Amino acid sequence: MSTWHVPDDDLRRYAGRGLAPPLLWSTETHLAACPGCRSRVAAFVTVDDGWARLDAALDAPRPGPVERLLVAVGVPDHTARLLTATPALRLSWLAAVGVTLVLTALVAHAVNPTVFLGVAPLLPLLGVAASFGPGIDPTYEITVTSPVHGFRLLLLRCVTVLAANIMLGAVASVFLPGFTAGWFLPSLALTVATLLLSSRVSPVFAAVGVGAVWVLVVSWAGPLPFSTAGQLSLLAAVALFSVLLARRAAVFDVLPTRRFR
Amino acid sequence: MTLSSATDVAVRAEGVVLRYGRTTALDGVSLSLGTGVTGLLGPNGAGKTTLLRVVATAVRPDAGSVEAFGHDALSGPGRLALRRRLGYLPQDPGFHPSFTAFEFVDYVAILKELTVRSARHAEVRRVLALVGLDAQRGKRMRALSGGMRQRVALAAALIGDPALLILDEPTVGLDPEQRMRFRELFADLGEGRAVLLSTHQTEDVMSLCRTVVVIDQGRVRFTGAPADLAGLAAGRVWTSDSRAPGALASWRTGTGAYRHVGDPPSGALLLEPTIEDGYLTLVDLRATEGQS
Repeated sequence: MSTWHVPDDDLRRYAGRGLAPPLLWSTETHLAACPGCRSRVAAFVTVDDGWARLDAALDAPRPGPVERLLVAVGVPDHTARLLTATPALRLSWLAAVGVTLVLTALVAHAVNPTVFLGVAPLLPLLGVAASFGPGIDPTYEITVTSPVHGFRLLLLRCVTVLAANIMLGAVASVFLPGFTAGWFLPSLALTVATLLLSSRVSPVFAAVGVGAVWVLVVSWAGPLPFSTAGQLSLLAAVALFSVLLARRAAVFDVLPTRRFR
Repeated sequence: MTLSSATDVAVRAEGVVLRYGRTTALDGVSLSLGTGVTGLLGPNGAGKTTLLRVVATAVRPDAGSVEAFGHDALSGPGRLALRRRLGYLPQDPGFHPSFTAFEFVDYVAILKELTVRSARHAEVRRVLALVGLDAQRGKRMRALSGGMRQRVALAAALIGDPALLILDEPTVGLDPEQRMRFRELFADLGEGRAVLLSTHQTEDVMSLCRTVVVIDQGRVRFTGAPADLAGLAAGRVWTSDSRAPGALASWRTGTGAYRHVGDPPSGALLLEPTIEDGYLTLVDLRATEGQS
């Protein structure tokens, strides 16, 4: 056993959470192996400190189910917390999306699979529209003036919303006559198109506009968008829209002045 | 995080122009902010909120320059540098209603790049205590009164001890005692940092501000000490027993006598002007100039 022991002053600071790395690390390593220092450190923990820590623990926000899930899959806790403010990631919203997808899949099973392929891409669109922007996010003005880049937060929320919708869509696809992933690229294309349009008009208008165009396309072209040629065209559209969106990133870093006329 | 001396300039805006379509909200506004509280006065629709948004980097002006802490605040890196030292309380701070006061301030702390949980939570507790909401930190935002919500929003603005604090009508909806508490807090906050305070409360300006800026129709009409603004009405405030129809403003006071602001008749009993009198005189002067 080492003859060296942690000095009182360092133990006091450790107990008061005032010890900084690398001294903190070496102290923790030593404490793990030294019962003598462990008993000494207890003397520096006052009852008030204990109450203060308990108080702090009680204050700490209690993560909801979605936040816990995000942390469980490796999302840092602060990022998960930012995502919890996204309406389209609330359990109620996700449940509504899930129910809609399953019902659509059942209708598609009975009528025509194109119904599901046409409807499924519209749902993430609504989620994206309800994720970010003036009039949607009540803290939008505070968010825009924070050091976190608005475009990064927008992408973070949209990717999470899209991922949640894709997972629900994949589950709902089980109810179709034959498993199909033909709705995936349209979902991606419509979402990126909405984001791109959101740099010029409000996200809700953008989603409504893009959704309307999609409904017209599906009504007119039928299953064509879900054929190989259609899917390749959609892939090209995703690539093009993504490049254009990246070039418009700075727009999301300030308030759109059109709202404040 | 504070400015080093009273001579430090945190923000300097020059010739700022901002248009919303055909409406010119700011028309060549110049402003310099140093240590202490600077008051921003002006009628509704004068451009106060737009000016605050420009300084807070929320909107980009069509023309002019904004320099903050030695950086060009209109460039990407300069804007980021300013945002890292900024506390901003918008006129209409929104809330996620399901959040508690603690969760809301914690959320803003994350936006301000405080990612280490223990340090962030300690900071959240500090700012909530600063605004006197220690006991209410676990309450949902939707359950708090308007005044308490305003205090939560102020707490969020104070996260990270910002060197520049921009407050857009922070005392709206507060009762007199709360306003007094806020005034004490603002006075403390003005020590060693720049505070830009937009308000309609002229008594706040008189008691707090080192400098007052009056803005009207998108232009700066006055910049100077509050006493100098009051001084604009020197010799133009008088009292009498009856209403004076030609006065710019005339009202009956609690003592039964009338107080008038405007051109006094000869032999009138002149009174010491207040900042409000000076403001009214200034706005009237501008209106008169506009007509001529």
